[in-house]
Amino acid sequence: MDNEVTQTGVEMEQRSSRRGLIAAGVGGAALSLLPFLSGRADAADTTTTATPTTQGTTTTSTPPKRPTDSDIALLAAAQKAEFTAQALYGLAINRVKGWTTEQATVMTTLSGSHQAYANAFSGMLGRVAPNVADETILGKFDSTFTGSTDDVLKAAATLESALVATHLDILGQLQGVNGATQIAAIVTAEARHVTVLRDLAGSTTLSDLLVDTEAASLLGNG
Amino acid sequence: MNESISTTDAASFGRRGLFRIGGLTVTAAALMAACGKNPAGEVGRVGDGPTTPTLPGATVDNSVYLRTMASIETSIALAYDRMVKSGVLAKASSTLPNLGDQTDMVKAFAEHHRTAADSFNALAVKAGATAWTCGNPHLDDVFLTPIFDRVEKGAVATDVAKAIEPSEDATRDMINLVVTLENLSSESCQALVGLVTEAQYRAKPMKFGVRSARQAALAALKVAPGAYVAPTDASAAQPGVTTTTEAATTTTAAPKGSTAPPPPTEIPLPVAIPSTFGGLAPITYIGGHGDENGVRLKLNFETPSLNSFIYAYATCK
Repeated sequence: MDNEVTQTGVEMEQRSSRRGLIAAGVGGAALSLLPFLSGRADAADTTTTATPTTQGTTTTSTPPKRPTDSDIALLAAAQKAEFTAQALYGLAINRVKGWTTEQATVMTTLSGSHQAYANAFSGMLGRVAPNVADETILGKFDSTFTGSTDDVLKAAATLESALVATHLDILGQLQGVNGATQIAAIVTAEARHVTVLRDLAGSTTLSDLLVDTEAASLLGNG
Repeated sequence: MNESISTTDAASFGRRGLFRIGGLTVTAAALMAACGKNPAGEVGRVGDGPTTPTLPGATVDNSVYLRTMASIETSIALAYDRMVKSGVLAKASSTLPNLGDQTDMVKAFAEHHRTAADSFNALAVKAGATAWTCGNPHLDDVFLTPIFDRVEKGAVATDVAKAIEPSEDATRDMINLVVTLENLSSESCQALVGLVTEAQYRAKPMKFGVRSARQAALAALKVAPGAYVAPTDASAAQPGVTTTTEAATTTTAAPKGSTAPPPPTEIPLPVAIPSTFGGLAPITYIGGHGDENGVRLKLNFETPSLNSFIYAYATCK
């Protein structure tokens, strides 16, 4: 405090040079950081233009995650096919008599699964989801979902095989990753449906149970 | 009071002079760091140790995924060949008395996996890589070989554990391994869909995944006839109905006060449709004879990842 009271013009000048020195010091420090900062900037530029991987960068471009415009039409068709399957199972469960407990359990479970698949597509598509069954496919399969329980099980297996073919068809055309992974999760489960339904219907041959011949795709039939 | 009698020059040097010197030092250091070119010299060496090896670049791209899939399918086919050659699948199973001879089924499965491996290799070549005709080293070394060893030979005694006998039911363990490997193949194909960057590499692999999923379902039905859906799905579909798909308990504790050896780890029965959606969860395999505490070999199979990828620099042994 005494110093400030008694400071002279010389001291004022010294204080000015002191501020200058501090400023120079800060400036120098900033300069010394330049190479480091420029290196970081270079690194940032490199990483933002490449797909991050474990130890290097991939040489391929990253596909879109969300469905593209063309994907939306394909996923909408897939959803309609799932709603159709759910409707056909519902019709068969109600109008065919003589289901065993085991058969009824499988039919009800698979019906619920198709509802879940349709709901999953609905979640992905949002307001553009059709949320209805495909009347053309429904009409095509409706007459086969009648008769004895074994007849219906075989018809359901054919439908499931057609759904597998449809989803594989769609998978080959989808660009967005989210839609593709969803289709993959559904098609592996529906593949099992065919084997289960044919086993339940009494089939014993490997070619039949493992579906050596897949049904035709339903894409474009709706 | 002391300050008031001190000279102005002395006070200035003591504080301001230090600031001045400090500022100059920082500035000089900054300038030298920014402008100086001082290449780092080699660190002095003592002795004759080996130099640090440089790891090859591990780029993960479509060809790596496809080569890895080819390796997985090859490993599975080779495992089935080993089962068929040993004749274990033709033997009766004490745990699964209705299983029957599944040799032909597993032979057909092996053929599918060989076809799948060829197809994955063709896609890998299309993606710019070389074909991978061996099995997957990680899958072979960490999973398949230990399982075969434990089932066929048991384990030798160590300082801390007694010897373990060969499996009391090798047929059961091998057919359960078939179910596990089919599920692994299916899951791996499903996982591949989300990894590859081009649509052309999704549909064809998934066709093999579909077939593997069906083979998994069929093998599960051979092990547990009538186990069509998971117990939770069955009870949701038909409330109050008890099905044959109830999962086994996994109690390993010995009865209280008993001198009998503890019961071995129970092996859950597989289910043809384990879940509504195809999952990517680890697949648990339990097999082999129980150790002195009744604990069997337990491994979790997972879809390919960093430690099981077949990178571009890898070569078949």
